[in-house]
Amino acid sequence: MLRFLAFSLRRAWQGFWRNALMSLAATATMTLMLVLLAGFWILQAGLLAGLEFVEQKVEVVADLRDDAPAAEIDALRRRLLAEPGVRSVDYVSKEEALARFRERLAAQGEEDLTRYLDENPLRASLEVKLADPRVAGEITDRLRNERIVESVIDIENLVDRVLTVTNILRMAGAVVLVVVGLIVLFIVVNTIRLAVLARADEIEIMRLVGASDAFIRWPFVFEGAFVGLLGSLVTLGLLGLAAEPIGRFLFDFFRILPLQLGSLARDVAIVVLAAGLGLGTVGSWISVRTYLLR
Amino acid sequence: MTMTISPGSGVRSLKDRLLGRPLPLPGEPRAVVRLHDVTKTYPNGRTALRDVDLAIPEGDFVFLVGPSGAGKSTLIKLLIRDELPSHGSVFVDGLDVARLPRREVPKLRRRIGIVFQDFKLLPRKTVRENVAFALEVTGTPGRRIRPAVDRVLALVGLTNQADQLPSQLSGGEQQRTAIARALVHDPRLIIADEPTGNLDPLIAWEIIQLLLRINELGVTVLMATHNAEVVTALRRRVVALEEGRIVRDEPRGAYHHDD
Repeated sequence: MLRFLAFSLRRAWQGFWRNALMSLAATATMTLMLVLLAGFWILQAGLLAGLEFVEQKVEVVADLRDDAPAAEIDALRRRLLAEPGVRSVDYVSKEEALARFRERLAAQGEEDLTRYLDENPLRASLEVKLADPRVAGEITDRLRNERIVESVIDIENLVDRVLTVTNILRMAGAVVLVVVGLIVLFIVVNTIRLAVLARADEIEIMRLVGASDAFIRWPFVFEGAFVGLLGSLVTLGLLGLAAEPIGRFLFDFFRILPLQLGSLARDVAIVVLAAGLGLGTVGSWISVRTYLLR
Repeated sequence: MTMTISPGSGVRSLKDRLLGRPLPLPGEPRAVVRLHDVTKTYPNGRTALRDVDLAIPEGDFVFLVGPSGAGKSTLIKLLIRDELPSHGSVFVDGLDVARLPRREVPKLRRRIGIVFQDFKLLPRKTVRENVAFALEVTGTPGRRIRPAVDRVLALVGLTNQADQLPSQLSGGEQQRTAIARALVHDPRLIIADEPTGNLDPLIAWEIIQLLLRINELGVTVLMATHNAEVVTALRRRVVALEEGRIVRDEPRGAYHHDD
């Protein structure tokens, strides 16, 4: 077993360098494809973060009766916070509501008409921010049944529309990523197939002298894995060099987004390494298989 | 001396011939190759072999002759299980080739040494590495490779060229390298498919002499050839194929049918 492993690894190494031009071409293709894949992965992450950001904007606002006791408001707030899908619940007092209204008017350059009012007509409210917009309907219904709640603005329609759009965009992003992945798979497998084809004579001789399938297959598989590994490392190197500008771009562009660059970088590294090794291994496995099946 | 055999009567004549030989054991002689009632039809509908019966006892030297497309290559492919028979049975050194599980095929091929017209050497490996390759890829321990390779290189007379690349060798030397590679597994059977096809007559004779010497060491040799001069001169066993049938099987035959 050890001898087999040593043999396979040695043959893989020799194979890579004996056909250096082909191997380097395969590595270059692999690198190019992995850069493409990583690029789309980063875009996809940005898209998902953007969609999440939009969805987090969804909130249910419950206007409270003027006579609602503070204790009950606080109890309701606590109960809402315990609900799944609720991110935060903010109490907005009558005074705050009025202040906000004034601010908005001022921002729009309108005259402040509120000072002609005898009393504050606005109601205190609870603003329920949602982590999961799908619970909006449920929360709305629940709030309507509360004694201290005067009214709840119906946002279900809006939520539905937002969710439709975000789901379509999510789907589209996933489809694009899968398509790019398939294209990468196809191109890499074909490049490796060419590299294996160049050594068809060698495979034939191995078969004729009685080499078992494993002895024929594994050197090529290791060689493919080596090409994949090398391609991933070059890709990661390139991405590393480009990390600063990419990071700045993402920050400028998506400053407001809940995007964690650290975990994104880690994900991209894992994806590139896994894709490189996986493509190299699977690609050579498939390519050699053609010869072994006979 | 020679027998005339009409197509389809190969079985009978062969049995007669074998019965005329001194048998090492009572009963059937040990045959390295035994084909029984073999027919091979390719997926495209072409029938390359029809009702072929053939037995090659251990130590035999057999010329397989016939025009191109007569079925010589198909017969060889069946022996090394590059193809499966459509009908009939093929035994090589006791292995039922047609029923051999796929994973056992390498075992069969290690018992057969194969030599081709185009040598099939790896151009970037030296003579020694080409021969050692056959042992390396079959998992032979490293310490056993060197002596085995030296032994066969001495046998084919290439000790001094061991570190040269195939491109530095003459055609005859390349073919001797291929023969050394075929021998390095200590096969029971050497199959040579047109081994002299690319060589000029003098070199061709050298290769034949080498195969005869290997045969004298007890290795059975089956050689497909178009080299009429060699076949006729040596008067060894000749099996002639025509349109997929054995039309002649003579213990001391000529290339062409003797009139």
